Amino acid sequence: MSDLDHAISLLRSCKPIPEPAVRELCYKARELLIEESNVQLVDAPVTICGDIHGQFHDLMELFRVGGDVPETNYLFMGDFVDRGFYSLESFLLLLSLKITTVYGFYDECLRKYGSANVWRYCCEVFDYLALGVNNGAVLCVHGGLSPLVDSVDKIRLLDRKQEVPHEGAMCDLLWSDPDEIDGWGLSPRGAGFLFGADIVKHFNHLNNLTLIARAHQLVMEGFKEMFDSSIVTVWSAPNYCYRCGNVAAILELGEERNGRRYRVFEAAPQDSRGMPAKKPVADYFLVRVYSTVWAVGHLLLTFSSNIMFRG
Amino acid sequence: MSRSPPLQTAPNIDVGKSITRGDWKVTTHKRPILNSTEIETMTTTLGISPPEMIFGNNSVEVTNERLNWSISFNALDALELVDKSGESMLKVSYSEAWQRMRERVHEDIKEIVKPYDWTYTTNYQGTVHNPDRPFQQTGSEIPFEKLKRPDPILLFDDVMLYEDELADNGISILSVKIRVMPERLLILQRFFMRLDGVLFRLRDTRLFIEFETGEIVKQYQAREDTYANVRSGLYMHPPEQIPSLLRDDGFIAERLPVIGIERERVLVG
Repeated sequence: MSDLDHAISLLRSCKPIPEPAVRELCYKARELLIEESNVQLVDAPVTICGDIHGQFHDLMELFRVGGDVPETNYLFMGDFVDRGFYSLESFLLLLSLKITTVYGFYDECLRKYGSANVWRYCCEVFDYLALGVNNGAVLCVHGGLSPLVDSVDKIRLLDRKQEVPHEGAMCDLLWSDPDEIDGWGLSPRGAGFLFGADIVKHFNHLNNLTLIARAHQLVMEGFKEMFDSSIVTVWSAPNYCYRCGNVAAILELGEERNGRRYRVFEAAPQDSRGMPAKKPVADYFLVRVYSTVWAVGHLLLTFSSNIMFRG
Repeated sequence: MSRSPPLQTAPNIDVGKSITRGDWKVTTHKRPILNSTEIETMTTTLGISPPEMIFGNNSVEVTNERLNWSISFNALDALELVDKSGESMLKVSYSEAWQRMRERVHEDIKEIVKPYDWTYTTNYQGTVHNPDRPFQQTGSEIPFEKLKRPDPILLFDDVMLYEDELADNGISILSVKIRVMPERLLILQRFFMRLDGVLFRLRDTRLFIEFETGEIVKQYQAREDTYANVRSGLYMHPPEQIPSLLRDDGFIAERLPVIGIERERVLVG
């Protein structure tokens, strides 16, 4: 078994891989991604996925519903990490699957060497991740459109290998949101754009698209089509943050131009996940409460942030 | 075109709790976030978009039917009190830079869509049903000594009302904790907001009820400080701990100066 296969089998069981393996994996993935253009052409059939947010067991559920790699061709629209308990495992598994699907059974060693910062390697890879993928008729992007970009060709010209900037077309593609407005609007937050149905329809017409698929916003039903089905939000993290109770969805695009099928799925069953012990909030609450009673001196200081009793 | 299939949602299970002590009934409701139809209804009612994670079907309710008195804590009523004029609007830390850049390239896009306080700051203190017995201002404190007794806790719950990650610029969260003992109860509703690089905000409402006497004491407290002040006060903590400390409302609360306090009391028994 190659080192990569070994890494995948560890990651599939949600076990972390050694730091040198992480480094090697990220390095290899970066080499692959740097070769890809901003707008990557993907052949249908392909399954489009939204935010994952480190919910590893739900990612496994996604593969169970949508089919395994490489039998099913997947496209993930970003936000692999944060909020969930297994960001690292989820992200590295997706990376390693990307590598195997590109290189087949890739037998190169992920040699163990040097100790460095795992987080930094992963961040470097983020910088290279593609911004959008054009399925001929469908544009996939994390956030939405930008007033600086009126054609898919203009997306090709952006420099994506950078920390996500706070302004400019790349920022918009990652963070803008559709809204029930006319034209472009400014977000009340003081940064960021909102765009209306006319913008989407015009862009789709100009670029011969039938659909913009995007992620980025939580949807209780897993997906939400807007503006006469010209744009859809796909959300792939069921029971987001382990408390929202929402379902998740993936979008299967068939070979014919308008073939769309949404597959909706729920969170993986509780017994399938070795969840880290949930913070026992009630107990915690009790301990704090009683500590203020029984504790003397130094413990009062320790528990001085007691939310119930400090005024 | 193969349109969307009928919408499927997770089972709408209420995992709330309930307990009765004498004439007092305490109920919590904990359900999934609102679905798209419910969000549309709420958006129309409020006139603003609700927070990203909106637990509009959650609530904490305390009712005394004999005395015709009740209080409820719920998201809709809390959001009604969010500023919708745009007068108390905060801006994200990089807003100025963003605006300058934007003005160079799109002078024509000027309009802020529906200005409102998108941090969802609220001074909500629960919704009281009983016009006959209004709360009166008081100097009395919540009787903390009674709460410090090691009485059995018959019911504890922690109920989320809403949460928003402020488009990755921090967090806004409104939640309610309740603790019911044999003779009394305590509720803490907390609004906690961190706008990265800008501001920390805390709005606590504590409600105490003594079942036997019907004495109800409420304390509302506002705390606030700049992000820079809070951050510079953490110099003694190891850098790797800072991110999690900045998310810990209990830890941060202690470090924010009080900017306003209200005490009220009513005897309904």
